[in-house]
Amino acid sequence: MTNTNRWARRSAAAVAAAGVTALVLAGCTTGGTEGGDDAAEGGTITVAVTNEVTSLNGSTPQGNLDTNGMVGYLTGTTGSSGGASLGGFYTLDEEFNIVHNDNIGTYEKTADDPLTVEYKLNDGLKWSDGEDITADDLLVGWAIGSGYYNDATLDEATGEPTSGTQYFQLAGSTDGLDTTAMPEISEDGLGLTLVYGEPFVDWELGNLLDKPAHVLAEQAGVTEEEFIQVLMDTPKGDPANPVEPNETLKAAADFWNTGYDFTSMPTDESLLVASGPFIMSDYTPNQSMTFSKNPEYTGEDVPAYDELVLRFVPDANAQVTALQNGEVNAIYPQASADTLTALENANQTVIEGDQLSYDHLDLNFGSEVFADANVREAFLKTIPRQQILESIITPINPSAEVLNSQIFVPANTEYTDAVAASGYDAYAEPDIEGAKELLAGATPTIRILYNTDNPNRVDSFQAIQASATEAGFIIEDAGSPDWSSLLPGGEYDASIFGWISPGAGNSALAQIFKTAGGGNYNKYSNAEVDEMVDAAQTELDPEALGQLKVQIDAATAADFYGLPLFQSPGLFATNGTVDGIEFFGNQTGIVWNAQDWTIAE
Amino acid sequence: MASFILRRIAVSVLILLAASFIMYVLAANSGDPLRDLRGGNPATEAQLIAARTAALDLDVPAPLRWFLWLGGAAQCLIPFANSCDLGLTLNNAEVATILPSAMLSTLQLVTVATLSAILLGVVVGIVTALRQYSGFDLTITFVSFFLFSLPSFLVAVLLKEFIAIGFNNFLQQGGAIPAVTVIVIAIVAGLIWQVLIGGPLRRRLTVFAISAVATGVVLGYMAVSEWFQNPGLGPVGILVGVAVVAIVTTLLVSGLGNRRALTTAGISAALAFVAYFALQGLFDISSVWTLLFVFLATVVVGLAIGWLLGGPDRGQSMRAGAITIGVSMVLVFLDRFMQSWPDYVNSSRINGRPIATIGSQTPGFNGDVWLTGIDSFTHLLLPTIALLLISFAQYTRYARAGLLEVLNQDYIRTARAKGLPERTVVMRHAFRNMLIPIATIVATDVGALLGGAVITERVFAISGMGNLFATSLGRTDLNPVMGYFLVIAIVAITFNFLADLAYAALDPRVRVR
Repeated sequence: MTNTNRWARRSAAAVAAAGVTALVLAGCTTGGTEGGDDAAEGGTITVAVTNEVTSLNGSTPQGNLDTNGMVGYLTGTTGSSGGASLGGFYTLDEEFNIVHNDNIGTYEKTADDPLTVEYKLNDGLKWSDGEDITADDLLVGWAIGSGYYNDATLDEATGEPTSGTQYFQLAGSTDGLDTTAMPEISEDGLGLTLVYGEPFVDWELGNLLDKPAHVLAEQAGVTEEEFIQVLMDTPKGDPANPVEPNETLKAAADFWNTGYDFTSMPTDESLLVASGPFIMSDYTPNQSMTFSKNPEYTGEDVPAYDELVLRFVPDANAQVTALQNGEVNAIYPQASADTLTALENANQTVIEGDQLSYDHLDLNFGSEVFADANVREAFLKTIPRQQILESIITPINPSAEVLNSQIFVPANTEYTDAVAASGYDAYAEPDIEGAKELLAGATPTIRILYNTDNPNRVDSFQAIQASATEAGFIIEDAGSPDWSSLLPGGEYDASIFGWISPGAGNSALAQIFKTAGGGNYNKYSNAEVDEMVDAAQTELDPEALGQLKVQIDAATAADFYGLPLFQSPGLFATNGTVDGIEFFGNQTGIVWNAQDWTIAE
Repeated sequence: MASFILRRIAVSVLILLAASFIMYVLAANSGDPLRDLRGGNPATEAQLIAARTAALDLDVPAPLRWFLWLGGAAQCLIPFANSCDLGLTLNNAEVATILPSAMLSTLQLVTVATLSAILLGVVVGIVTALRQYSGFDLTITFVSFFLFSLPSFLVAVLLKEFIAIGFNNFLQQGGAIPAVTVIVIAIVAGLIWQVLIGGPLRRRLTVFAISAVATGVVLGYMAVSEWFQNPGLGPVGILVGVAVVAIVTTLLVSGLGNRRALTTAGISAALAFVAYFALQGLFDISSVWTLLFVFLATVVVGLAIGWLLGGPDRGQSMRAGAITIGVSMVLVFLDRFMQSWPDYVNSSRINGRPIATIGSQTPGFNGDVWLTGIDSFTHLLLPTIALLLISFAQYTRYARAGLLEVLNQDYIRTARAKGLPERTVVMRHAFRNMLIPIATIVATDVGALLGGAVITERVFAISGMGNLFATSLGRTDLNPVMGYFLVIAIVAITFNFLADLAYAALDPRVRVR
């Protein structure tokens, strides 16, 4: 081998190596430095929330979670079962009054008999993808919320249809809307008129703006016109005579039921289509979700900043340090005394209030020991409600008060009247002597059912046990971690558990207080109350309705139904970088007035 | 060998089946998956319970439901069919799709922590063993037991308070260090160094004085020059750095007496120094892959230099060259990261408070490889330290004990007796044999890695495997619990198996039959 040859080969190898290097480098480089900073000038507000987002449709049974509800509220496609939203027909104010949302349209009751409601969309509204919002969308919202086409007979035990078809799976109920006939669409294509089969008290909660018609149509593989035609042509479902499911409707419903659930940023942008002031623009699984302004939104609730970021931080203390460190501007942790102390030590602004869920003690009207009204009254007289409140709630919310109504919360305007009528406020402190007199020497045994896994309920039970024993009651601990499955059984005399008050709406009345109602676990039965509850379900005059509810509250108090104990406390906090955060007690939580927030200078 | 492997696999499958059945039934009986629905809103409660029961077959008793689960999980075995069905969570998410993302977060979190724990632990363990019962050894023993007994949630809170909030405040207030602080830190540094170096009183005093003054001067310079706002090594720093790297590497690999190795290391270091100036333009347009390629290419160059200059004992020179240039390039990369630091800190999404306490990235933050690299660094710094502190202690103890045991053996005495330098005795004869027990621990540790770090993940809001398991078990959400179980059981069984094989490979006395 000659020297020339060796050199030639070596240089060839060197050239080849250089060539490969250049190729790899060319392939692996980027276009150049980008600014690390693409935040627009209006700024970003970041809020830490506890739970993750799992679905863009919070109205299905599996999607019915608090953070999903926030997303629906901000983007506006909640439908009648999802409730209030910035992009729907109504929102709620801090007293849980229904506020009609002029940014989207108007709706009003035009006749009482039959109950007729006219919806009218504002002219020129567009979905965030540029499609018009029309009465077709309202018709779809009605189809979803009314369950009009369902002809399924459901198996009581498993919830699966034994015959027929259940199209849209709602977490909420179809009550009210299920009595409406096929609505009429106005000539201009923006209005829709609903005629109810019977008067319905909660007609104002009928938000007909659900997921967009054109998106559902596309997913079902038809045009929007065809989809609407299918909705108009398909007859009302009759569980007694189930028919073959309509393929198009079934496809659209199946998509609505599960298609909006996601675990990573959806590639199909039609899932993100919004009617409200915000639109989801980015999602990092398990970490954060970003909302930017909806470019097509024409209403007044446009935020004064560019981006809203929800960060998912399950640990309350981690939320507090993140707030302190300025990584988030506000937090919405689960309220506890430790969290409050940590926030106070870190000098953060705490915003406290009452949530809509409340604990209560119910007496079982099916048990023998409480057949005697005197025993019921005596037992209620021994309940140390103020003491329970002070030991459980006051450390978290120092301004909390004992709840004095089974139906209203203090935020409601009728609360004061209700307390005056029911007299629940007389039970704040235990009256042991009064109880002893009523018992007249008897020593009834009371079995109390409660959740032994919930420390608050355990504390409540122990306080009640101590106090009632003084009056001569023998208290038996019937607590169990499986309390919830024991609740309908009736093998107890009194129970301590919680309900979530709806805030707005009256559907719970019939469930809880009516004889054999779905949530009437304590077998309460009073013909007069049954009548009033029925009347309330069809009462269209708000004043009269309020009076009826006050009367129901008073009637249950007169029967010694049980005692409301306290509302669960709620807690927001900010580090002073955001102005305008105010407390709100329902599931929407901290973001309920996100449209009004401003970044502090 | 083949029959051993087949037998092990058969037994592993049986173990997996039995364990998954036990796990399934126990987890199913640990709570009520409908708990969050009961006693909620009376109007819709029955409906919601029915829907969930139908979706998850909750009406089937748990032992029978296991067969349903197994039927779906077994489909994962069909290659390329992509028909893996590990069931749904309570929120209707496919377990098969959420597992990979959880695994990724966990790997991201624990990999750096574990690697640095092994590296630091072994190095410190070796040094303490070589200086047994010295001040340094006792101090490290104390510190490692102290760290080992600290609960991780406490470490996390302390780190957040001082390193995140404290350091961020310090940066925001202009980065001025009061003179008193400088003096205190200098004295403490001096004390630490004299303990480390040891020796007679006179030497200790000298070490104390030199290191205290040096620390004080450097800190003072950093404060005055606003180094914390605009960090960087600069040409001088890089030059000093690569020189030190070259000398230390040669010292450890071959001893300074090996001139060929020293020359190789010197040339490699010089090349890295040249690369520092030459590659800045390329760095501005780099992606992760560019950097990886540059790194590997320079290591190859280091090997080539060693091969060309190495003479008869090429291996030593090649190693010295490759290690020197590799570590030097890391310094060069580090300097480039530091150059991007001011851009990062002043970005409007960071707002002058870089060190983060939650998550693994800033939402919506985009940038080149340097900026996103810094973003990952600022987010993973605290959890990594929290994990590191605990596993570091363990590795130190094992490495120390292992080396001490090896050093007392006859062949070490023989090696010393025949006049080998101490460096060769430790690095060649003792070090490798010390690694046998460490290798076993590492194998089982890697198995535990994917299990995640439940507490650390929760406190730092990183949704990895540990968090997935803890939340799912808390809600009696059976399918993700089983998905988690499947992953860690398979990894644990595999790595135990590998550890057995590794034993046979490392230690000729062990035979696999």
